[in-house]
Amino acid sequence: MTKKKEVLLEVKDLEIQGYSDETWVDIIKGVDLTLHRGEVLGLIGESGAGKSTIGAAAMGYARDGTRISNGSIEFDGMELTTASEEEKRSLRGHRIAYVAQSAAASFNPSHKLIDQYSEAPLQYRLKKRTEAQEDAMELYEKLRLPNPQEIGFRYPHQVSGGQLQRAMTAMAMSCKPDLIIFDEPTTALDVTTQIEVLAAIRDIVDEYNTAAIYITHDLAVVAQMADTIKVLLKGEEVEEATTKEMLDNPKEDYTKSLWAVRSFKRDQKERPKNDTPLISVKGVDASYTGGEKVLDDVSFDVYEGMTVAVVGESGSGKSTTARVITGLLPPSKGEVLFKGEPFPPDYRNRTKDQLRQCQMIYQMADTALNPKVKIREIIGRPAQFYSGLSGAALKNRVDELLDLIELEPSQYYNRYPSELSGGQKQRIGIARALAAEPTFIVCDEVTSALDQLVAEGILRLLDRLQKELNLAYMFITHDLATVRSIADEVVVMQHGKVVEQGPKTEMFTPPHHPYTDLLLSSVPEMDPEWLTTLLEERGVDNVGDAATAQIDPNDPKIAG
Amino acid sequence: MSVFVIGYYTLLLAVSCLAAFYNKRQIFMVAFGLTLVSFVLGIVGGTAALQAVAICAGLLGLAAMVSFAFREFLIQISSAELGKELRTAPMTAAFGMFVIFVYVIMGIFAPWIAPHGEAEVIASAFAPADENMLLGADQLGRDMFSRIIYGARNSVGLALAATIAAFILGAFAGLLAATKGGWFDQFMGRFADVIMSIPSLIFALLMLSIFGPHVHVIVIAVAIIYAPRVFRLTRAVAGNVVVMDYIEAAQLRGEGTWYLIRREILPNSTAPLVAEFGLEFCFVFLLVAGLSFLGLGIQPPTADWGSMVRENATLISFGDITPLIPAAAIALLTVGVNFVVDWMLHRSSGLKE
Repeated sequence: MTKKKEVLLEVKDLEIQGYSDETWVDIIKGVDLTLHRGEVLGLIGESGAGKSTIGAAAMGYARDGTRISNGSIEFDGMELTTASEEEKRSLRGHRIAYVAQSAAASFNPSHKLIDQYSEAPLQYRLKKRTEAQEDAMELYEKLRLPNPQEIGFRYPHQVSGGQLQRAMTAMAMSCKPDLIIFDEPTTALDVTTQIEVLAAIRDIVDEYNTAAIYITHDLAVVAQMADTIKVLLKGEEVEEATTKEMLDNPKEDYTKSLWAVRSFKRDQKERPKNDTPLISVKGVDASYTGGEKVLDDVSFDVYEGMTVAVVGESGSGKSTTARVITGLLPPSKGEVLFKGEPFPPDYRNRTKDQLRQCQMIYQMADTALNPKVKIREIIGRPAQFYSGLSGAALKNRVDELLDLIELEPSQYYNRYPSELSGGQKQRIGIARALAAEPTFIVCDEVTSALDQLVAEGILRLLDRLQKELNLAYMFITHDLATVRSIADEVVVMQHGKVVEQGPKTEMFTPPHHPYTDLLLSSVPEMDPEWLTTLLEERGVDNVGDAATAQIDPNDPKIAG
Repeated sequence: MSVFVIGYYTLLLAVSCLAAFYNKRQIFMVAFGLTLVSFVLGIVGGTAALQAVAICAGLLGLAAMVSFAFREFLIQISSAELGKELRTAPMTAAFGMFVIFVYVIMGIFAPWIAPHGEAEVIASAFAPADENMLLGADQLGRDMFSRIIYGARNSVGLALAATIAAFILGAFAGLLAATKGGWFDQFMGRFADVIMSIPSLIFALLMLSIFGPHVHVIVIAVAIIYAPRVFRLTRAVAGNVVVMDYIEAAQLRGEGTWYLIRREILPNSTAPLVAEFGLEFCFVFLLVAGLSFLGLGIQPPTADWGSMVRENATLISFGDITPLIPAAAIALLTVGVNFVVDWMLHRSSGLKE
């Protein structure tokens, strides 16, 4: 795949500083980067590794509060670090384009897609409006957007997330740039949608021979897209190699640990026989005030000490199920049983002990912890509230809990949540749930906002706690790799219905329900040929929404 | 060409040259701009105009020095954490804090600072200033300077009491409405609308003419007028906090409304509320001064800046600036408070330079 061609972008010894606490701190500590025409470079690393900062610097742009302190950025013979703002501006959008992570937040909601598409060509006087629009339709067609003639005349909120991300890619292509920077373009998307965006991006980059920098934290994704991969850690380069070599033969320990992250597995537990389930959801229908039915006849059981993973795309009703169990959303039909006893549908009617039994861990640790309250109170409050501890007993309990989540008590006791890292915050969230001494914990996408290494640590912690405290988990996730590593039983949901459920080993061996099959096959694998093979199998027009729509309701496997 | 004029231009040019040499663009632009303007002013207005400019510049410089020194003083006496916050305060905010500090000292220690009593008649009506009376006498022959000092206590104290009352009323209702939601929220919102639909001055006049111009009536009337604004802001701010996951976690724990408000919501909405407090204080202060000016506020012989403006208003026709002094006292406090509020708003909005 190596294309030895003319060098397009050359970054040498780049150093970028960020302003914090009244001093300039190095964020990027001397990174070199060479990109040839038509080449795709994958930048991977954890959050805070400086991926996006380098991406922005490739356009000669330093974000607010950062500055390029040293090094050179040469784009097609032009030095960007010394170029005037005017010169840099004439490059952006025209010869270098940018595709942001959240297309929904990057489009202007009050203009039509096609008007936003034609903005750059008109600005640079490359095309007339009608020409630009024809161009747009052509590109929309190439990106396999439905109704390419018409879709551009919609507003951003009228198209789906995956379509919007492709429209954004089209917009970046509008001036036929030499270089596009993709900043985590598929991170916010479901696996099934991710494929169509990946396929579209790959085709379009190939076709126009555009060079690209592809920023992501997902190795499997970058393996499909990039010719070479560069691994970053805390602003420094760890290693760089061609994709194949990097996957087969990583040199540095850090890279190996990234590769090995998914290795965590645990033994699957069997349901205890002749036992009432701890939590039993029975025929639950639910809807938000006056809206459509979000849940339709959902039933499943969770046994003591076991982990049930609930999987499905966004909007499939996973989180709503959790809200019904915790009592935040009383169901319109059906009931939730706890050890065979009915749980009051509204949490306000539950007793303190019932509330204590069922705790929740949230996806976003940032919004789940009160930023103005110290750790000792966040964790201490449930212990104080339920068990009536105070004084020294309370302090001992908090210390014990901090020990349990592997944080040094004396160091964290008096800190505020903002002084912790993402993984540590999530641990505090876990400790708060444990403080109530529950038997059942709802984990709502607890690892999806975290880096893979950190996420693995959280999964190991949850597993250890389950063994020690005999907890039952309901694990909501859209990440099937997580399911593989932690679940005992799996519940697959689609459009508010349970389409399939059973023990994990059964669920991961065919025959599947077609939707489960689609979900499973859509998870990117490390093999760089995975996307190509998958597209050959399914056909390019049969991915994402199209594939979901094609599931035959009369398929015999559904009945079985 | 006097020595003054030569010195004046030499100083300005020296400052501009130094600024240019050390590459301080802003200082250079100010200094050299002033030089150019002074050329015109000097020709049109003569030495007097230049002297006025020099005095203004001197006053500004003095104010800047006082602010700077006062900020350093505050940093020195406060804890390390607070000191770090204070270090981010711009000069204007430091000036505002200094003004507030002076007014507070003036109000608290009024009987010891003022040379005469607030109701003590010591001279003939409208007696001019002499070594006994710094600012001359008012329409009854009372010392103007002493009355201004007592006025700080009465006017500011009253406005502060009214603002605090409005905040307790409004913030509590707002927090409760945001937490409870539903019909209670609707009811409180519409009730606030009703109060806001009544013109504030007319409402205050009505209340005061019904219940008589007593201090507690003023406080309650003003609190009722301003509480709806505080209610709206608090409800909006708390509304953003209530949807956070940590509130949900606390609710699921079974916490009561009072705990939710006190420990979870209030600490996360204080910053905008504090900023709003400063802003509302200015409005309340002006309303109270306005009521006094109309004769319905604090009653004589108690000194009050609003009524002092009215009582001495006749002097303005004789070209005397005496009635403007209490007005200036009001203006200075309002400006000072706003400077501090600006800084706080800036901090709470999370904007960075």
